Amino acid sequence: MKTQLFAWIDKRTGAEAIIKSQLTEYPAPKNLNYMWNFGSLALLVLVLQILTGIFLVMYYKPSAEATFGGFTVAFDSVERIMRDVNFGWLIRYMHAVGASMFFVVVYMHIGRGLYYGSFKSPRELLWIIGVVILLIMQGAAFFGYLLPWGQMSFWGATVITNLFGAIPVLGEYIGQLLVGGFAVGDPTLNRFFSLHYLFPLLLAAIVGGHIHALHVVHSNNPEGIDLHKPEEQIPFHPYYTIKDAFGVAFFLLFYCYIVFFNPQMGGYFIEVDNYVPANNLQTPAHIAPVWYLTPWYTILRSFESKLLGVAAMGASLAILFVLPFLCRSAVRSARYRPVYKIMVIMFFVDVIVLGYCGHSAPTATLKVVGQIATAYYFLFFVALPFLPKFEKTKPLPEGI
Amino acid sequence: MKMTKFLMAMIAAAVMGFSTQAVASGGGAHLEHANVDTTDQEQIRRGLTVFTDVCMGCHSAKYLTYRGLMAYPEIGLTREEVDELRGEKSLMSGMISDLSIEDAVVSYGKAPPDLSLIVPGRRGGADYVYSLLTAYEHDPEGKVPDGNWNKVFPGNRIAMPDPLSWLDHDAADEAELRQQAEDVAAFLTLVGDPHQNTRRAIGCWVMGFLILLTLVLWRLKVEVWKDVKKH
Repeated sequence: MKTQLFAWIDKRTGAEAIIKSQLTEYPAPKNLNYMWNFGSLALLVLVLQILTGIFLVMYYKPSAEATFGGFTVAFDSVERIMRDVNFGWLIRYMHAVGASMFFVVVYMHIGRGLYYGSFKSPRELLWIIGVVILLIMQGAAFFGYLLPWGQMSFWGATVITNLFGAIPVLGEYIGQLLVGGFAVGDPTLNRFFSLHYLFPLLLAAIVGGHIHALHVVHSNNPEGIDLHKPEEQIPFHPYYTIKDAFGVAFFLLFYCYIVFFNPQMGGYFIEVDNYVPANNLQTPAHIAPVWYLTPWYTILRSFESKLLGVAAMGASLAILFVLPFLCRSAVRSARYRPVYKIMVIMFFVDVIVLGYCGHSAPTATLKVVGQIATAYYFLFFVALPFLPKFEKTKPLPEGI
Repeated sequence: MKMTKFLMAMIAAAVMGFSTQAVASGGGAHLEHANVDTTDQEQIRRGLTVFTDVCMGCHSAKYLTYRGLMAYPEIGLTREEVDELRGEKSLMSGMISDLSIEDAVVSYGKAPPDLSLIVPGRRGGADYVYSLLTAYEHDPEGKVPDGNWNKVFPGNRIAMPDPLSWLDHDAADEAELRQQAEDVAAFLTLVGDPHQNTRRAIGCWVMGFLILLTLVLWRLKVEVWKDVKKH
């Protein structure tokens, strides 16, 4: 079967053994449901983002130098891509929509992990690597958002980089170091561009680590039990390759519909204000991050003190790192944990509520709602260690 | 120094959740729906005429080049027509107003925004442009001079003095003025995203292909999974 070329390569790399152990003969539980498709989708979107990004960079110019009519070189270069580069509009919309879709699939992927207890022993490190991926993704998205140098880019970056000013003593210095001056400007654009290119490459490497860690401890499954019998497992290929391929096609239906018919997605994926060139003398009526960062923005806004808000926002992400050690129940899947099931579903709703509050213009009511949602966000994690004391778990099945 | 302090105050306000500017303070006026069709060459060309005769007195559309007037099939002017429009200007130059920004600031108090991205850059898009152009009224409180009070514009006081002479129109003119406003909204919609018709046309083929692909892969998945025993 082996061609001479493949034999030559295999002799020097052990490619065949790797492919067999990691892909074609990799044993997977036979009962994985469609929630397990989002990992492969996340990988697909990451590849799409890197590829489209490489082509965009061939035309993009990171400069805040002013051009005619209150625009800048950076803004002009984006419009040049949209108008004059062959299929530039397609590449740019794929990239901009891809950023949002990346978070859609990754949030689903994380939610699946939470629900079925995929973060629990022996997969703690797999989860922690995943949280690192999430943080780098959010960083990359934030850096990329600045690049078009529109109003929301500019003011979003101004608001977020000013958060560092809340840190006692060193805050202002760190802020200036990050921004490259006293306010967001040309140096900020240059360094954010550099970091926007760097982070996805880091991401690609860490995703490799994530997949490696998965292939050491093997996949969890909807029942959340360890598999012992060989007939409970099926080879990854052809079963999950075809299932993932079907998932990819189904995902592309949504992705391409948005790219071709509704790329701004009603101002959620590409914000209206970002079609207005950056103007440091005029704040937009309402500054809010893109939808995928709004839950954390609400946590930030829920505190009167800026320092407390920043600390809470940091804690809300940092607490994800220790989740595997907070959750002490021996049972993994929420299917067999009645109390946890209600708590985790409420947690998902809670994050959506947080997201809504952060996206909307602040009102007194929404502020209270946001504060309650913030309280539940932390309560969920704090309650986890005490859950096994009173939660009566259902009996686990023998096998799948 | 003052500026920095002002900026800091604005930022602090935004972060802490009470932006000093009221959100969408545009009098809360309801936007009227504009019937724009970016594939309708007649409408787009009528809009171009309104744009060059009226809007371009002050506004530019720097991302729309004279070459674009020929290159985009939705506009599809001939070389002769474009030559007549551009005069001495280069074919590659954007549609820049003859009124300089400095003079505009002297006359109207602020720089007229470039209109290339006015439709994607405003909530409501084409509806906003159309409604704005037909929303001039006499200030009910009589503080704002006639021609500068607009019920759709945020804060109601607008620097642009009634471009289509909407205030002075009589009932007989209304249909025509509405038509002009709608046409220019259609034209600016196209200019905001000039490849949108191509995009949708390609999108139909892409969606068709993907629906077939999804069906085939779904059947294939069912077929491959037949031999996995259900528990």
